[in-house]
Amino acid sequence: MNRSIGFPYGTAALLVLALALASGVWLAAHPVRSATADLTMWTFANTHYNAYKAAVPSFEKAHPGVHVDVQLVSGTAVTSRLQAAFWADLDVPDMVEVEISSAAAFFRGPLEHVGFLDLTDRIHRAGLWDGMVQARFAPYTSRGRIFGLPHDVHPVQLAYRRDIVERLGVDVDKIETWDDFVAVGRRITVPNKRYMLEMPDTEASRLEMCLFQRGGGYFDKEGRCRFDDEVGVQTMLWYVPLVAGPRRIGGDLGGGQILTKAIEDGYLLFLAAPDWRTMSFEMDVPRVSGKMALMPLPAVKRGGPRTSTWGGTMLAITRRSPHPELAWEFAKHLYLNPAELAERFRGTNIIPALRSAWRQPAFSEPRPYWSNQRLGDSYALLAPQTPYQYASPFVSTAKGKLSEALVACVQRYRTRGPDGFEPFVRRQLRGSAGELRRLMSRSPFL
Amino acid sequence: MSAPQRTRADRWFRVQHRAAPYLFVAPFVLLFLTFGLWPIVKSLSLSMYATSGPKDQVFVGAANFRFLLGDPDFRVAAANTAVFAFWSVFVQLPLALGLALLLSRSWLRGREFLRLVFFSPNLLGQVFVGVLFSVLFVPQYGLLNNALHGLTEPLHRYLSFIPVVELDTKWLANPALVMPALVLTSLWMYVGFNMIYFLAALQAVDQDLYEAATVDGANGLQQFIAVTLPGIRPVAVFVLITSTIGSFQLFELPYIMLGNGPGPNKAGLTIVMYLYQMGFVTGDLGYASAVGWTLALGLLVISLAQMRITGAFRSNTE
Repeated sequence: MNRSIGFPYGTAALLVLALALASGVWLAAHPVRSATADLTMWTFANTHYNAYKAAVPSFEKAHPGVHVDVQLVSGTAVTSRLQAAFWADLDVPDMVEVEISSAAAFFRGPLEHVGFLDLTDRIHRAGLWDGMVQARFAPYTSRGRIFGLPHDVHPVQLAYRRDIVERLGVDVDKIETWDDFVAVGRRITVPNKRYMLEMPDTEASRLEMCLFQRGGGYFDKEGRCRFDDEVGVQTMLWYVPLVAGPRRIGGDLGGGQILTKAIEDGYLLFLAAPDWRTMSFEMDVPRVSGKMALMPLPAVKRGGPRTSTWGGTMLAITRRSPHPELAWEFAKHLYLNPAELAERFRGTNIIPALRSAWRQPAFSEPRPYWSNQRLGDSYALLAPQTPYQYASPFVSTAKGKLSEALVACVQRYRTRGPDGFEPFVRRQLRGSAGELRRLMSRSPFL
Repeated sequence: MSAPQRTRADRWFRVQHRAAPYLFVAPFVLLFLTFGLWPIVKSLSLSMYATSGPKDQVFVGAANFRFLLGDPDFRVAAANTAVFAFWSVFVQLPLALGLALLLSRSWLRGREFLRLVFFSPNLLGQVFVGVLFSVLFVPQYGLLNNALHGLTEPLHRYLSFIPVVELDTKWLANPALVMPALVLTSLWMYVGFNMIYFLAALQAVDQDLYEAATVDGANGLQQFIAVTLPGIRPVAVFVLITSTIGSFQLFELPYIMLGNGPGPNKAGLTIVMYLYQMGFVTGDLGYASAVGWTLALGLLVISLAQMRITGAFRSNTE
């Protein structure tokens, strides 16, 4: 014991005590400021956050005395914190943006227990049902009631390395159908060196996109599982030989820096590109600026839709918000102001669900990164064809089940080829969908 | 001090004397009752309800447990977890013991530094290690594939039975490779940690026993079997049980390395991950509680079996 200090429990204990006292005094001297905002909004995307922060002053000017606080919260945290707050009756923000794959999880249970405000009547009264792309309400609808305002449409095109594709003598204007695309892919794919299209063989995000394009999906309008129907079977039968076996044209290395390198190296020539992803490419792969271009998704059949959809975000107002009318006003300010939407498009490349906004000049501006193509117009042209995707609280489980079926089918095709593949696919999809139905049937709340 | 004052002081002292132990343990007991026992009791009750969050509950009795027995996803999760635990115990612990034996040798130079090196991965935390290894395992450009490819390709030219590891080997996207990747990561992280336990145990073994064994003509292996192993048995049993329990609680590593999901074909789905999915993604807290109770009971049985097999119930004097 250090007698010179004279503390009976030793120097270490004294230090801990001193630290505790010092931190306690500091905290007492710097209390957390209580929230003073009239409206609090959570968003998970940095680009959204910056755009909304910029939109706040004009809203506050139009509503004197109102203070709006927009907060950036990570995507995972939005879901888990909001869910926990709903469950525990804790403070929730007035408004929140939720990613499409998490949204339906909040629609679980009796309608009166859904934590979001039912916006159906407001949407119809404001003329938004006709003014927005109607397909985009589907993911945010449960039992006929709409709980979210769609932030976007997210039609899909193909982004490609124009310089390499042209050097290889490919004329993308002549590619109209997936058959055309696959034929070119079989010609220019070099295994382990260069793949025609980014196509994962272990998760179903791109398979799902193809499923939507063919009119299929995870659930029907009534929320019944349907991914094992004929559309699902035919999509799987088409997809798997493109990612497995000797004639594959699809490759995948994952995301992040590896994807950047794969694009820079020309390892992947074409990539599925919903509008939001074009900004990711611009930010993550700046070296290929001017060498990239966009083309509509090939059609399943000649004359068929040249797009699909991937991703999405809804804006919801929480049921416990003390200012629902003010929140609705702010939602309209963010999502329905054409001039602000146009400015936001410049920063995000995301075309809004409000159709009238697409006429703004910003959507017709040529983009140097995309070989001076008019990015906004190209997506706006496809947006009305965006397919419906219906929601269920079990959507994330359904995605997992479809991915499991995909992995099983890919393994089967790799080891045994096309012989007996179709019955296997049917069996596999039926089994995966059956497991999902079994899980769904347990819930007494749907 | 007057007599009445002394009596009052004595009484006050006796009251304090009697109350003191209870007052000392009261903070722990209160915290334990609130955050330990109550959640345990509540989860047992919840396991008998079908739920959609905590507000919507319907009593279903043992239906959650019945469903669990026939649930293919739970079976996969249990099998994956058992496989991971098996490799953790039967590869990790012998390696940790081997390292401890090596690093306890007095002739080894720099052994303190090596102890720190082998222990240091444990300072990082599972999330950081998960992120680190998911980068190492990246196909085409990842360090591991490039190293293995560089090593196996020239070897294959001379020894054709050695397969070439391709650059685009997908450790975390190939169902057959997910578990080896997780085991490898966990080995890197925990071998050094368990080594510390074994090092401490080895230092506690009576050196006179080694001298006696040497005098009796026992060789190194005989000394290890007859002196070292019995000497470190209590610690070894402890490490075995905590490693098994830790392995069955696996969550962060696969969750981070497999992108917040169970991996391809559920190859990285563990029991705790399944519990998390059911409770906080699907919102069925009742079923998640049933999964949790099944895991706890399973761990209890396994731990008791391990203690029986390793003789932990026997006293040292037997």
